[in-house]
Amino acid sequence: MTGRHLCRGHFIAGIEERVAETIRSRNLIVPGDHVVIALSGGKDSTALLMILARILPSWESIRLSAITIDEGIFGYREDTIRSADDLVVKYGLSHTTVSFMEFFGGTLDAFLNGREPEACSVCGILRRKALNVAAERTGATKLATGHNLDDEAQSVFMNVLRGDLPRLVRDSGSDSQGRFIPRIKPLMFISEKEIAVYLMLHGAWPDLPECPYAVHALRGEVRGMLATLESKHPGTMLHLMESKAKIELQCAGRLEEEAIRPCAECGDPCSGEICQLCQLKKTLR
Amino acid sequence: MKIFLPDKSCCDAGPGPVTVEALLRDLGIDPIGVIVARNGTLVTEDAIVENSDEVRIIRIAHGG
Repeated sequence: MTGRHLCRGHFIAGIEERVAETIRSRNLIVPGDHVVIALSGGKDSTALLMILARILPSWESIRLSAITIDEGIFGYREDTIRSADDLVVKYGLSHTTVSFMEFFGGTLDAFLNGREPEACSVCGILRRKALNVAAERTGATKLATGHNLDDEAQSVFMNVLRGDLPRLVRDSGSDSQGRFIPRIKPLMFISEKEIAVYLMLHGAWPDLPECPYAVHALRGEVRGMLATLESKHPGTMLHLMESKAKIELQCAGRLEEEAIRPCAECGDPCSGEICQLCQLKKTLR
Repeated sequence: MKIFLPDKSCCDAGPGPVTVEALLRDLGIDPIGVIVARNGTLVTEDAIVENSDEVRIIRIAHGG
C-alpha cells in the first residue's frame, strides 16, 4: 500500500503510527473517553483492539473495553466469539457479550430462514441496535469499529454508483445528531491486506471461516471491482477516500440535513415515521 | 513447489523460479485478496519462489 519494503518492527510501528495519526488528526478520541471496541473476533476488530491496547495506554486517561454481539450464526460465530474471549483475556480488558436472542428473541439463522439474500441488511439493522444498546450499558463515550480502508472505499464507491450524495458526505460519527454514542473508525486508512500482515507479524492471525452469508452481500461485487482496480492502479482506494474528503469540503453547510425525529414506535431517532428496526421487526418470524 | 491454496487444499507444481505475482496470476488469484508465505515467511509480490519452496496462499477476507 505504501510501496515500501519494511522489516517486521518498522511495519508494525508504521501501522500503529498511522492509526494514532488518524485518531489525533480527526479528534476521534479525547482525554477522558471510554472507548468500547465492537469486537467480533474477526481480523479487523482483532487488529483494532491490539493496536488501541498498544497505543492508548500512553495517552491521557483513556479507558478501553470491548463488546461482542452473538448474532446466532451456526458454524461461524462460535469460533469468532472464542477468539474474542481469548483476546480480551490476553489484554486484560473488560468484555461484554450480548446476543440477538437476548435483544430480539431469536437467532439470525432463524430470522433469515427463507430470506437469506437479505442477510446483510437484516443483520446490519439488528447489529446496529444491539451495538448501540450494549455500548450505552457500558457507559462508553465512543464506539470503535474495525472498518478498514477497503470497507470505506467500497462504501464511497457504492454511494457514488447510487448517486447518494447525502450518504456519501455523511459522517457516521455524527449521523444521529448526538443521539447515539459516536462511532469511530481508527483503521479507516489501513488496508485489509495491511491488517492481515500486521496480525500475521504478531502471530495473531485468526484463521477463521468466512461468514456463511457473505455470498449474498451486494458489497461483494463492488469489492471485486475495487480489488481489480487497486491491483492495476495502486492507490485507487486512497484516491476514492481523498475524493470523498474533497466533496465533503465542497458540500459543507450546503446540503439540507435530514430531519431526525423519534420513531413513532420505539422512540429511537430516525428519519422517517418508523425506524428501520421497527419496520424489520414486523417481518421477522 | 508445494503450494497450499486459500481453500487449504495442496498441489505440486514446477513453474519456478517465478515471482509471487506471476504465480498468483497463473493460479487465477487476485494478489489484493491474499497474502503469501514462502517457507513460513511472509513475502511481497515481487519475491521469487523456487520449485524447492513451500508456498502458502492465505485469503484475507473473512467478512463479519
